[in-house]
Amino acid sequence: MIRRAGRALVLLAVLAGALNADEIPPGERLSGYDMMGAEAQAMQRDDFANPAMLAVKEGEALWHAVPGEGRPSCAGCHGDAAASMKGVAARYPARDVPSGRLFDLPGRIQACQNGRQGIAPQPRESTGLLALEAYLALQSRGMPLASPRARGLDDAVQRGEGLYRQRFGQLDLSCAQCHSQNWGRSLAGTRIPQAHPTGYPLFRMEWQAVGSLQRRFRNCMTGIRAEPFPPGAPEWIDLEIYLKERAAGMRVDAPAVRP
Amino acid sequence: MATAMILLPRSAIRAGDLITLKAMISHPMETGFRRTETGGEIPRNIIRQFSCRYMGELVFSCDFHPAIAANPFLAFPLVATRTGPLEFVWRGDNGFLHREQAMLQVSAS
Amino acid sequence: MLAALFLGGVGPAAAQPAMPVPEASPLAAARPPDPENGRRIVVDRRRGLCLLCHSGPFPEVRFQGDLAPSLAGAGSRWTPAQLRARLIDSRQFNGETIMPPYFRAEGQIRVGRAFSGRSILTAEEIEDVTAFLATLRD
Repeated sequence: MIRRAGRALVLLAVLAGALNADEIPPGERLSGYDMMGAEAQAMQRDDFANPAMLAVKEGEALWHAVPGEGRPSCAGCHGDAAASMKGVAARYPARDVPSGRLFDLPGRIQACQNGRQGIAPQPRESTGLLALEAYLALQSRGMPLASPRARGLDDAVQRGEGLYRQRFGQLDLSCAQCHSQNWGRSLAGTRIPQAHPTGYPLFRMEWQAVGSLQRRFRNCMTGIRAEPFPPGAPEWIDLEIYLKERAAGMRVDAPAVRP
Repeated sequence: MATAMILLPRSAIRAGDLITLKAMISHPMETGFRRTETGGEIPRNIIRQFSCRYMGELVFSCDFHPAIAANPFLAFPLVATRTGPLEFVWRGDNGFLHREQAMLQVSAS
Repeated sequence: MLAALFLGGVGPAAAQPAMPVPEASPLAAARPPDPENGRRIVVDRRRGLCLLCHSGPFPEVRFQGDLAPSLAGAGSRWTPAQLRARLIDSRQFNGETIMPPYFRAEGQIRVGRAFSGRSILTAEEIEDVTAFLATLRD
């Protein structure tokens, strides 16, 4: 018992040291785009070769679609997304003022579908919800990711960092061990990225589909043989908030292409 | 339901110009060779054939096979002769059919 | 429980540079070690997972990792008892290691349903891999 407590203390000390030691300096941050090959970069730069733009096109149609008689379309309330949604994706997740709840972008869309449009929300990872996410994300392309801390989300940033540094799963690995301490190295031939969520939702060639940040989280969790949190879980949102803080100021390149 | 995008040259086209047309469509291109976690077969679901007609005349076509990636993207050349309609058609498994149309504007050379 | 398997000192490696290298005596296995099976486990991305992080003399494996030292010559650098100790649970002597604990079935957090209550390798497999790594000599 005493010995275990001793080890925990040492571990805490090591962790406290690691907090600063593995922080990537702002000037050395690289997005997934920066780290991928020239061909994939070219595919992302050309809106016509980027398959995620198909989702954007579908999302634009959904933005204007009336969900039923007497029910407003997204555009019915929000108008032209190019104006009303500019910069929105760059500052999500955000706290909903009346309820105090934290919403990520898909969660906010679902809440709107449920509350304002009076329809059953589209499930996470469904084509329709991803399409709307992609369409909204495009309206923030090129804009810097806003700092969640600057918007009073310190508590979530702190919880998210705890998750980022927590070892999970049978393989007993944390996010930080790969993405802060070993980025750039080769994991079975794949370069480990720094995990800056600048491009979601994005088309991943491995998936052959557009997917969300939570899908990426799930992939990592199952990779280390951990039980993923359920879709939309508050843990995922805290983790996203921490990653957004870590990436604050980097430019949104959604909807991106990744290998 | 599929979504497709057609890209025509952005610059002005004159008769006789060799131009490139681009067409991309959302489609899973499920190979038929994969299995579910429980070992069940995932049935093949691919686009089999693509064609492009220019003023009704077939100017490009190709067959697709299971090794082609999802959301297939095609780029192919065409000699523009005069202003006229372009029609793009994708056909595939399970009665898949998607059609897109565009008007090619060509000025006299 | 597992700590009892270690003959050498156990603790954070950084604290004392002169600390003896941890060792572990053979695990109770139902059959003699099979180095050929050990090799199969090492190159299998779903069983040993070794080459996700390590590289080594495995010409048939196309993508190997560089997060950890090459396994080439591991049998010259370490004794079987030292190799085994690293496989069982490297956390015991390096709290920050990325090497997964191959013979620890409890203590990890949110282990996936399919893997819960099981260690990554069995006692037999640990002995097989140890026997194989011992053959990798410079």
